[in-house]
Amino acid sequence: MTQALSITNLVKRFGGLTATDDLSFAIEDGESVGLIGPNGAGKTTVFSQIMGEHRQTSGNIHLYGEEISSLTTAARIRRGVSRTYQVPRPFSEMSVAENIRVGLMPDNIWRMIVEGPNTERELELALSVGFAESDLQRTPAELSMGDLRKLEMARTMATGPKVMLLDEVFAGLTVGEIAQIGDLIQQMRGDGMTFLIVSHDLKALEPLVDRAIAINYGAMIAEGTFTEVIDNEAVRASYLGGVA
Amino acid sequence: MGLRWYHFALWGAFIVGLALLPELVSKGTLRTIIFANYLAIFAISWDVLSGRTGYISFGHPFLIGIGAYTTAILTKRFGVPVEVSIPIAVLTTMAGGLIVLLPALRVKGSYFAMITLAFMELIYQLVQVVRPDLTGGTRGMSGVPTLTRGAVNGFYLSAFLMVSVALTMWLLMRTRLGTALSAVGMNEESVRGSGLSATRLKMVAFLLSAAIAGLGGAFYIHYLGTIAPRALFEINFAFTIIVAALIGGASTIIGPVIGAFFLTFLLEYLRPYLPGAERYLIYGGVALLLYMYQPRGIYEVIRQGWARVRGLA
Repeated sequence: MTQALSITNLVKRFGGLTATDDLSFAIEDGESVGLIGPNGAGKTTVFSQIMGEHRQTSGNIHLYGEEISSLTTAARIRRGVSRTYQVPRPFSEMSVAENIRVGLMPDNIWRMIVEGPNTERELELALSVGFAESDLQRTPAELSMGDLRKLEMARTMATGPKVMLLDEVFAGLTVGEIAQIGDLIQQMRGDGMTFLIVSHDLKALEPLVDRAIAINYGAMIAEGTFTEVIDNEAVRASYLGGVA
Repeated sequence: MGLRWYHFALWGAFIVGLALLPELVSKGTLRTIIFANYLAIFAISWDVLSGRTGYISFGHPFLIGIGAYTTAILTKRFGVPVEVSIPIAVLTTMAGGLIVLLPALRVKGSYFAMITLAFMELIYQLVQVVRPDLTGGTRGMSGVPTLTRGAVNGFYLSAFLMVSVALTMWLLMRTRLGTALSAVGMNEESVRGSGLSATRLKMVAFLLSAAIAGLGGAFYIHYLGTIAPRALFEINFAFTIIVAALIGGASTIIGPVIGAFFLTFLLEYLRPYLPGAERYLIYGGVALLLYMYQPRGIYEVIRQGWARVRGLA
């Protein structure tokens, strides 16, 4: 098995605060890993560093063996890693179809001009996350939180990732929507997608991951199967606010 | 690009209408329309940059001025033919566009707007003191070679230029590039998160905008035959461009053209009644009322009307 994503001795300091503290882990190709930890544990900061939105203070990030730390966010996405955000960030005055269109675009001005939009693929992606064809012309202002998350998934999938980082995909969703997104993730796992998933909804997360990593104060506190991790003393203490 | 029959019909009617105009209106009105055509070009230039990407330029005369001064100096001081000087003016203005791009890599919103205002003020001061033997200093230049004689020819040249710019940009903005530039205006982080280089997209917008501003500025100066720094680098001129684009309908290309004509004629028809600067009070009021009714401008009012007509038909 090849390593899809590996993080080695990652450190991120914001002034006096250490948000990521010598963190190392690796994800095999096709594997799905849950990243858990209490609020403020530094999960999202790890995502930001993988995507290049924040530069790490030290340490390495490899994507399929290639060191990507010096690349821009856009270049990393073209290498095959993409993320969703806790708070969805749609293009507010564009339709669902146009939002997905931006994700599908090549990063090449000339091709943007001469090649028309791939409306079939836009529809296919919209349907795959659970939109109806009639939703394509709706704008983000008309969408529920669940729909916005679906749109975010679709736009992220549109960039053609091999590794997807999902940040709190279930927050604010109804039970039905959670099941729908869960099914989609299962289906994509079946197709060989690699996942790193952050979620506070541990019940929804459990069936979607092969194993889990728990962090607190930016440092790893447990790693193993999902049950092992959530039964871990330190993890329980961290969630309950005790001293690990 | 999703072109429909009525797009062709409307553009056709617009071009035919412009071609027939000199037969229908007086020479005086024609001169007003010439100004409206150039204002439309400047407003389109502003729209490509600020209407799309949300980087509001308060100093668009900076770019227009670079184009105007470059061709004026080349033709008048060095005897360079206009066929050469205008392309050089466009290229020089594009280089100027890259200068404006620099702050846009770091700052946004009102900070960027203020910096563009500073650019305009800076070039206003510079042209007066640096090499006044070339720029004509405070008094500017007169006797810049003109390309046409008479209102009719001046009108045809300006109309041809305006329609060419408007049609080209309208088509270009209907491609995925237009969508991507709008995306930059809505959420730059999400553009990056979609795997696109936001910096490169901004650069394209700035270069396109500058090229149009340079082209318009150069032809405008060869129409006027004079260049006056105080009139060119003036805040009211900058605002007129912005207001034309906004009341017409930003980010639509057609809107700024409508806005430019609306504004020019509004100011012109008010002139007999209000000769002074108080005219601007009226146009400010009209602009305000329009925003309250339809913030997306006249273009949106027309579009909705058209949709209603088609709905009934």
